[in-house]
Amino acid sequence: MNEPTRELQRSAEEEALHCVRCGLCLSVCPGYRESLRETDSPRARVALVRALREGLLEASTDGYSEAFFRCLLCGACTFVCPSGVAVDRILELSRGELASQGLLPEALSNLNDRIAQYRNISAEKNEGRLIWADNLPTLPTGLGKKRAEVAYFVGCVSSFFPRSYKVPQALVQIFDRADVDYALLGGTEWCCGYPMFIDGELDRARELIQHNVNAVQATGVKKVVMTCPSCFHFWKHSYPAALGVEKMEDLGLEIQHATEFLADLLETGDLKLRKVRENVTYHDPCDLGRKGGVIEAPRRVLAQIPGLRLIEMAENRDSSHCCGGGGNLESFVPEVSKSVARNRIHQAADVGAGTLVSACQQCERTLANAARAERLRIRVKDITELVLEALEE
Amino acid sequence: MTEWIQALEEAIGADKVLSSPIDLIAYSFDGTFEQHVPDAAVLPVTAEEVSAVVRIASQYDIPIVPRGMASGLAGGSIPTRGGIVLSLTRMNHILEIDEENMTATVEAGVVTANLQAEVEKLGLFYPPDPSSIKQSTIGGNVACNAGGPRCLKYGVTSNYVLGLTVVLADGRIVRTGGKAIKYVTGFNMNQFFVGSEGALGIITEVILRLICKPPYARTALVHFPTLHDAGESVHAVLTRGLVPAAMELLDETAIECIEEAMHLGLPLDVAALMVIESDGADKESVQREIDAIADICLQTGASRVDVARDEERRAELWRARRSISPSLARKAPNKLGEDITVPRSAIPEAIHRIKAISAHYGLPIVVFGHAGDGNLHPNILFDRRDSVQWEKVEHIVGEIFQVALDLGGTLSGEHGIGTFKLPYMRDALGPASINIQWRVKQAMDPQNILNPGKVLPEP
Repeated sequence: MNEPTRELQRSAEEEALHCVRCGLCLSVCPGYRESLRETDSPRARVALVRALREGLLEASTDGYSEAFFRCLLCGACTFVCPSGVAVDRILELSRGELASQGLLPEALSNLNDRIAQYRNISAEKNEGRLIWADNLPTLPTGLGKKRAEVAYFVGCVSSFFPRSYKVPQALVQIFDRADVDYALLGGTEWCCGYPMFIDGELDRARELIQHNVNAVQATGVKKVVMTCPSCFHFWKHSYPAALGVEKMEDLGLEIQHATEFLADLLETGDLKLRKVRENVTYHDPCDLGRKGGVIEAPRRVLAQIPGLRLIEMAENRDSSHCCGGGGNLESFVPEVSKSVARNRIHQAADVGAGTLVSACQQCERTLANAARAERLRIRVKDITELVLEALEE
Repeated sequence: MTEWIQALEEAIGADKVLSSPIDLIAYSFDGTFEQHVPDAAVLPVTAEEVSAVVRIASQYDIPIVPRGMASGLAGGSIPTRGGIVLSLTRMNHILEIDEENMTATVEAGVVTANLQAEVEKLGLFYPPDPSSIKQSTIGGNVACNAGGPRCLKYGVTSNYVLGLTVVLADGRIVRTGGKAIKYVTGFNMNQFFVGSEGALGIITEVILRLICKPPYARTALVHFPTLHDAGESVHAVLTRGLVPAAMELLDETAIECIEEAMHLGLPLDVAALMVIESDGADKESVQREIDAIADICLQTGASRVDVARDEERRAELWRARRSISPSLARKAPNKLGEDITVPRSAIPEAIHRIKAISAHYGLPIVVFGHAGDGNLHPNILFDRRDSVQWEKVEHIVGEIFQVALDLGGTLSGEHGIGTFKLPYMRDALGPASINIQWRVKQAMDPQNILNPGKVLPEP
């Protein structure tokens, strides 16, 4: 219902004032639906902001800070709010205030310290960002390329977590089949800064943002492609303001999610896809769909695969249900994260999907784990993997 | 920790008892702008646990306020005297859908929309459809006798209650009614608890009557150049033997707010819109009915009738209708939504008088509601931080109620009394009725611990 970006930016207090407490957000909040405790609802968080202003409690009151971080940042509440309250903005501003008062939960402030020191989320040598390329049958052509048409910004998770290597591995193989002229950034790629932003420390992310834009521009590319929806959403919708421009195009850069790039490539290029007889459901990642505004592209990609039958889950597109992996919640309250994932994978089972496809390394991992834990016979894949399979003889 | 909170923890488990300042804020409000912080909130999962909580409340003489998802619009579930908020949201199981007898047995915390989705999978239908369908529970619907657009044809919540499980003020658990459709054994205890707003007992389980889902529905969006014409059309349609499923009225401000929220392409140059739905088992007769309704509306002043072309548009119109109340927040920081009813023929006059009140005080009053039922929701828009405006609001509320009473109507059609309408109860009911109701309350709850200070003015 509400646009992902809005012209009018109100303060947290003003936003909170427009909440009429109708409670509709409770019906879409994956965290609330799990705990059925009002405190975990978007409406309660808005009430807490008001209570703070009214002097009923203080930011240091036990549990206040936690309430704002016990959230998946899936944005469903903001999207559904008939009163037009930007709950996401309230969370962002509140988290910022809490961070500036030193009230960030320890796990999250440690994460941001790690990013500041190592330029990635996993405290590893940043030069190791391309280890995933070692196991490929042939080396990706984008490796070590200094100039290209497209830059592939891999993101920390797919660079450092072996489980997610398959995502960049699949995309570069597709790129190479289609003779895409692309560059991999390797050690010059730094964390995009999103974790700091969502934890309320946007200022700490500024150095990363500036560096990344410089690194990309040094390759002379016109387009930056991402497989990680969070990197994509942050680059596309928050980088411009941080850099003092209106949109990234003003810097000569088009920001695309891999699904957008692939949709164009498959619809216009010469790549031949084989039949995949399968009932597939597509899980919209929150940062890509509802928040990022990319909803049709992945479906256009799937439509190019002959034989594939796309079935939508009860909650899809703008109304998609979080995978449980959003908002750093996993490292903070893992049990909520797990149960949210469990609910989502059951939605896939309910419509008889044999395969669940997403377009996010995080969703793929949380939902695959949930399928296993629930003993459901559903394969979980990233969309790049599925396209690569369909390309093979 | 106070002794009684410790007793609660021992009785139902510490994980179901909340008393941190953050939790108490979360349980301090409902769907209005009022709030009051309780001393504890409890999340029981069985009637026995509810009973244990009530016994402790009785032992320590502490107020206990039952609630579902707290979407009420009359302050009914705000713990105005502190004490215990008892949330039934975790009692959210559909225990049985009996296809043969067409009944559903559900716990009080089942979300109404979820129940409807489940029964509709089986071709069954639970008609009551308050706008808060996704954020209200069956228990709350029964406790407030919720209505909704479809109640024009299908009746309100009370028409679907076959049986209840209720925890009484002394902790006893009583069952009323049953699956049998006819039940005249003793007083009608089902209806005794329906609409009692948690003041006579705490409803923990409900047996609901279901009907067959009408497979066909057509929905028309009817444009009116004046509110008066809309009132005339309602009268004309209903007196010619047609029974639409719903006849919903939206005035121009309501249309504006909805359009701003949802961008549906609604006309912004009309005085009123009506959403009229016809449904039934036979496709042709549904079509004939909506065509006949369209003709009558055009003859009685409507400037245009658009019948929704597909299910998607139809769903969109209903989502828009349900979003009116919260979307009003786009116009002003606060709204006070009333729920008056008048005899159907008095609708044009009621709207006329309400608009005059609005003009007199210079505050917008949006009018929408269930025109076919004579149930209007005048919503006053204001900023509560402005003391002049707030004072005007208090006068306006009194005058709106007076309009309803003068025209032979009453204070509430489906929201209930809560605390908001309490000051007007004596005028609405008269001393004898208040007196006997209060004696009933005393018999059921001698300590006055069940949702005290709600529904009935205390003597």
